[in-house]
Amino acid sequence: MEVIILENLTEMFKGLLEGCILEIISGGETYGYKITRRLNALGFTDVVDGTVYTILVRLEKNKLVDIEKKPSDMGPPRKFYVLNDAGRRELQQFWEKWAFVSSKINELKETKP
Amino acid sequence: MKIQDIIEGKKEWRAHMARVKALPQDYQIVYKEIQKYLFKVGPVELTEGTELLSGIVDLFEEGVALGKGVLEVTGRDVAAFCDDLIKDSKTYADIYQASVAQEVNQAMKKIAKT
Amino acid sequence: MTFWEKITGNDMTKELQTFESRAQKLPKDYQAAWEKIKADLWPHSDFTGRNLMPILDGVLGLLEETAADGQRVQEVLGDDIKGFCSALVGEEGANAYRDKWREQLNDNIAKKLAK
Repeated sequence: MEVIILENLTEMFKGLLEGCILEIISGGETYGYKITRRLNALGFTDVVDGTVYTILVRLEKNKLVDIEKKPSDMGPPRKFYVLNDAGRRELQQFWEKWAFVSSKINELKETKP
Repeated sequence: MKIQDIIEGKKEWRAHMARVKALPQDYQIVYKEIQKYLFKVGPVELTEGTELLSGIVDLFEEGVALGKGVLEVTGRDVAAFCDDLIKDSKTYADIYQASVAQEVNQAMKKIAKT
Repeated sequence: MTFWEKITGNDMTKELQTFESRAQKLPKDYQAAWEKIKADLWPHSDFTGRNLMPILDGVLGLLEETAADGQRVQEVLGDDIKGFCSALVGEEGANAYRDKWREQLNDNIAKKLAK
């Protein structure tokens, strides 16, 4: 039962994932696997590295992040991501949109016809 | 750049495939199926260098280093992973269809004039 | 008239010749599949042969890589080459076929990982 609920959650969450990842990156230089761990720890346990990776590729393509490749103590060199100005603007817009959507949805729930 | 150049050319491609062959068996299997799928769908990024494919190998190598299983990395729905990866990409089929539409349009205009 | 003569706009000839010499290096069953693919793409070649080039290039790449990997051609293309080709050029009905590619991808992985 719980699994089904979580799966539905993932579907719902998918559209928000890009904004969430921008938010995580805004907290300072980070890399893909670390972002996944953060989301998993937050409770989004179904988010896998591959999903995060596809979003990072898109952020890169849309030039919302700056990237630096650095050697890692373990395995191959890693790509580190930081937000650039365009990314910060995008993130701000995300939060504005989110504020609108969530307030409207709450309003819907709380106002009885 | 053409796929031919990428594959026959060679040094870059051979180095890329050597990295693939160094992955554990399970990872190799998934990588090869993904590559097959992407060749069929034909996103234009495929021929803009090996970045699309080598990015996947980067991801996989790090997964291996962390001791993860390949499906833990991609998720069970590997096709969804691929589609997310090329979500905003044009494919060669898209370009082809656009050119067909254009030709048809021009032909119609010609007919309209006569 | 051959397929090639029909779609050839002269400067494309050279490219097509390299396609053919690449195809000749493929195993026999792959070559047969290549012939079928060309025949199926023929109706698409009346106009816009040029935009067919990257698609042909992609198919050849697919065939070359999978042949080198020792896979059977059927495993790569499936049984329905016609459907495969209309999906390649993004014709109507291509979406249904792309869904099939998706299924194939996940099924192949499930099967091979289970081994």
